[in-house]
Amino acid sequence: MKESRLTLLIFLAPTLFFVLVFIAYPVVYSAYLSLSEYNYASDPTPKFIGFKGYIETIFEDSMFHTALINQFKFAVPYFVITFLASLILAILINELRFGASFFQVIFYLPMVIPLSLVGITFAWLLFPDVGIFNHFLRSLGVSNWNIDWYGDPKTALNSLVVARSWKMIGFTLIILLSGLQGLSKSLREAAKVDGANFFQEIWYIVLPNLKPYLLISGVWILINAMKTFELVAVVTQGGPGMATLTLYYYTWKLAFERLDMGRASQVAYITAVIIVLFSWGLNRLFKPEAASRA
Amino acid sequence: MTRLGDSHLRRFRNLKKYKIGILLIVSVIALVYVSPLLWMFITSIRPTWDIYKFPPSVIPGAVTLENYVYVVTQMEGFGRYFLNSAVVTGVTVVIVVISSAMGGYAFGIRRFKGQNFLFMAVISVLTIPYIMYLIPIYIMEDRLGLRNTWWGLILPYVALNLPWGLLIMRGAFSTVPLDIRDAAVIDGCNEFQMWYKVLLPIVRPALAATTIITFVFAWQEYLFASTLMTKNEWQTLPVGVVWIRDELQTLVYGRIGAMIILSIIPVFVLFIAFRKFFIEGLREGMIK
Repeated sequence: MKESRLTLLIFLAPTLFFVLVFIAYPVVYSAYLSLSEYNYASDPTPKFIGFKGYIETIFEDSMFHTALINQFKFAVPYFVITFLASLILAILINELRFGASFFQVIFYLPMVIPLSLVGITFAWLLFPDVGIFNHFLRSLGVSNWNIDWYGDPKTALNSLVVARSWKMIGFTLIILLSGLQGLSKSLREAAKVDGANFFQEIWYIVLPNLKPYLLISGVWILINAMKTFELVAVVTQGGPGMATLTLYYYTWKLAFERLDMGRASQVAYITAVIIVLFSWGLNRLFKPEAASRA
Repeated sequence: MTRLGDSHLRRFRNLKKYKIGILLIVSVIALVYVSPLLWMFITSIRPTWDIYKFPPSVIPGAVTLENYVYVVTQMEGFGRYFLNSAVVTGVTVVIVVISSAMGGYAFGIRRFKGQNFLFMAVISVLTIPYIMYLIPIYIMEDRLGLRNTWWGLILPYVALNLPWGLLIMRGAFSTVPLDIRDAAVIDGCNEFQMWYKVLLPIVRPALAATTIITFVFAWQEYLFASTLMTKNEWQTLPVGVVWIRDELQTLVYGRIGAMIILSIIPVFVLFIAFRKFFIEGLREGMIK
């Protein structure tokens, strides 16, 4: 059979079209925008200014600083909760003799619910006064407990973390469960024979062998932690004050409310660099064999 | 020897108790885990007076379908959002599946210069913040008049979902045994016939995985939909339901709950029916 260049090109044509027009061109163009001054409402074309915009964003833009700090305040608990919760769940589900697939479906369900609707759902759950969660807390004994979880600057960001983790856990659960199922049974049997209890078995046998999968889920959670948009847009709009202003949401506000495409592209590029640095760093932190698998 | 035997015996006796303990723990966690969704559902089947009484109660004082009836018969916007979501998601899925079946063949079976570089470049799409694409795409669509049209959403959705499809399809094609291809060549197939008649039936599970994953992702997309579709009649469900909530202002969570439940039913049904492919596809994409 003749494998010609022409047929290859035909097979690749749809991929090349979509990637060039909607991925490659936007990446290059927004790089150019990030080096320009461009208000979409008033400027006819972008005006090239080099790195001046980046310097202004990084050193002078106090809202950018707030967004950056908030992003980390969001990312740290988000990472810890999602990582630990899915790890514990994976270990427990892996122990089940029956019902495992039923429980998997339950924990995977939030994956298919749109984040914006997750936002509305949690806003209703955590509603003050008639919200059921506050009612539940009151019935536990604190009679005047009535927290406006998303309206109070002290709790708003962490309440977003909970909703975001709720949706993410299914993804990391898939990764960790497939890692656990891949572990050889004989390894764990041997530990049992040696008299190891359940926790020793997990700590000394399961976790070290799960390392590559822990790394992969870590990287996914991290990438995800930097992309915080839908919940903020739907539930808090960055408020109260600027308590939930994240990098993504700030970028969006700059681009589509202020129409300041230059500044927005700078923040977007800085976010991308942070993501790349983090996933690279996490890869380096672990052993080389883990890095090559990821 | 005795120690070994003892521990075995003890384990055996404790096994049942310990397994039941774990089952119980997982059940409680699962119940807490689905409670937000359950609560939305319970809210959606209550009359308004029952939702806003104080103190609230978990058990409904009355059960009604009036919220669902209202949403389906009185809210024209909701039907329109549903149509937009169905069209945009459906067309996106078709284009992604065809494109990634073609591209997956090129990457998984053919060998060419720059193959790995090109593939890695396509896959890196998944880690870049999507908002980076959104700004130029917004400007481009604004100038071409594509905003507030179905194609204005379908085209970027295809681009964003294609990398995942390619990842799955390349993996499937690269595991097809060589002799199957050789046999096809001997039978006198040309390359397109081999792709269509011989290879595609073999990689059907991967096609199913690509279909369900693309469907789920396109159905729930919010960032592009809310930015590119600024006119209400073009909005999809994830954006439209939020728009209704903001517009109504007065709190009618029963109706909002009904809209949320109706919005996720199609994707729930598909997910439960094809969960094997969905999970396999995600695993393939996330781990490799």
